[in-house]
Amino acid sequence: MPPDASPTPTAAPPASVPASPVVEVQSLSKRFDQNVLAVDDLTFTVERGDVCGLLGPNGAGKTTTLRMLLGLIRPTGGGTRVFGEAIVPSARVLARVGAMIEQAAFVPYLTGLTNLRLHWEAGGGDFEKADVEGALAVAALGDAIHRKVRTYSQGMRQRLGLARALLGQPELLVLDEPTNGLDPQEMRAVRGLLRRVADGGTTVLLSSHLLSEVEQVCTTAVVMDRGRLVASGTVADLMQAAVSAYLEVDDGERAARVLREVPGVEGVAPEPPGLSVAMDGVERWQLVDALVHAGVKVTTVTSRHRLEDAFLGLLGEETERTS
Amino acid sequence: MSLVGTEVVKQGRRLRTWVVFGLMVAIPVIITFALWANPPSQPGGEGGGGGDFFFLSRSSGLLLPAAVLLVASRFLLIGVAALFGGDTIAAEASWGNLRSLLVRPVQRGRLVLVKLGAATVLTALSTLILVLTALIAGVIVWGWHGIAGVSLGFGFFRVPSQSAGLLLWHLVIATAYVTWSLAAAVAFGFMVSTMSDAPIGAAAAAFGLYVVSAILDAVSAIGSIRNGFPTHYSDAWQDLFIHNHASFEMVLGSLVQLGYVVAFCAIGVWWFRRKDVMS
Repeated sequence: MPPDASPTPTAAPPASVPASPVVEVQSLSKRFDQNVLAVDDLTFTVERGDVCGLLGPNGAGKTTTLRMLLGLIRPTGGGTRVFGEAIVPSARVLARVGAMIEQAAFVPYLTGLTNLRLHWEAGGGDFEKADVEGALAVAALGDAIHRKVRTYSQGMRQRLGLARALLGQPELLVLDEPTNGLDPQEMRAVRGLLRRVADGGTTVLLSSHLLSEVEQVCTTAVVMDRGRLVASGTVADLMQAAVSAYLEVDDGERAARVLREVPGVEGVAPEPPGLSVAMDGVERWQLVDALVHAGVKVTTVTSRHRLEDAFLGLLGEETERTS
Repeated sequence: MSLVGTEVVKQGRRLRTWVVFGLMVAIPVIITFALWANPPSQPGGEGGGGGDFFFLSRSSGLLLPAAVLLVASRFLLIGVAALFGGDTIAAEASWGNLRSLLVRPVQRGRLVLVKLGAATVLTALSTLILVLTALIAGVIVWGWHGIAGVSLGFGFFRVPSQSAGLLLWHLVIATAYVTWSLAAAVAFGFMVSTMSDAPIGAAAAAFGLYVVSAILDAVSAIGSIRNGFPTHYSDAWQDLFIHNHASFEMVLGSLVQLGYVVAFCAIGVWWFRRKDVMS
């Protein structure tokens, strides 16, 4: 983790054990031809067993970062290491990595199964020893696995892409927007799958713009904006950093005026039928106390620790800092 | 199965491959039928044109492949070479499959060599199918035998006698030379293919190179620069049949092709090894 990353770094390994992160991204930069700085001095690590979410709005540089991590794009500055090995195009260590970058793509006139076979055998692997059954279970395509890929829906291709990434039981799984194109049921199944894969000891690095997905699946997160690191840490710590409360009251306008005067209240926003209150160093009971003393009737009060709040808060801070 | 094996499966199951092979069978058959139905009359001129070979093919079925080779090498075979060359890397990129292959990981240098090898083999195979089909059709219709001396160009020019064995040997050399004369088209298509995600565009570029070369080659005012054009010596193999010997132009033509092949392949490999794979 970079020293200036906020709010807290991922738990470090014991001092006696030499730390060897699965993924090390060090001062990584990429400037494209049109002088577009897609990734700017990005540094983060992913430890063994982590399920790390790479978060950021569109254009944050997530996919470019993952492509550099997989040797598809050459960085213009810095570098990446996977399992301690520096990544160059087609680095041998990538044999220990399963990946799906952007939308899953295949040779359209071949069947799903043939695509999986050719993909695995192109790298010199024995398809029979690649945990094909496990991969096919992920794809859940049934007899359609024997149909040509050009007949597949986007969701079927995406599932086949996940199956391909899981061939050979990789030690690191790199997924770029893995639930793109899936319906809610399939998304849920993929989340469950990722949790099972992580429970089996596989390290997972996934990019997503779906905050709820990261919140549900990931143990750590790296937040990017405009190519730069905004924050990194455990998901729990990131959420803790952005505490808010939701209140339902009988007089919203009056309550908002009262709450804005309470020290530690950073903002009050209407969230029908109630109010959302951003808090920093103030407790919920103090909000209720202030409202009751002002004669406002409080019917509901709940605490919120959502990644969405943290994400938006972090991006807001970053925008203020850079403007 | 190695990368070569996977490439064989990919190409072997592709409709495009079989359409090309089908054309290579159909065209000689159509030409044979046309010549059988409407036998050509003796052409004029100094000899060496397509008309001469069509006229001569009536003398021996072994000459029909030469006639077919001549007409096909000026357009059809160039298109085939450009198609296979332009398809090498760009097809994988257009499917979005290139990134998966490279992450597998397949070494970039190995991938281009296998792809280039497959394009070369497919181009050579197409030429071979064309010639063999023409040979079979020609022998069925006009027989397997040599030719006695034949006068062409209103008697100003005479094709020397050649035995069946000699004609066959000339055909083998001509086929090899025509195949090699397509190498620059394959190499240029491959080079553009490493820079593009559009296989059709890469194939069109390679075909366009030969069209431009053929047009400029016809402008004698350009002078000796034309000797370096990829199409300049394309027809040099005709001397094998017309004059019963290989001309030095075949050597020059082979060397010109070699220069282009080395240059285009080197640029293609260099480009692909440093390329950012975005597709």
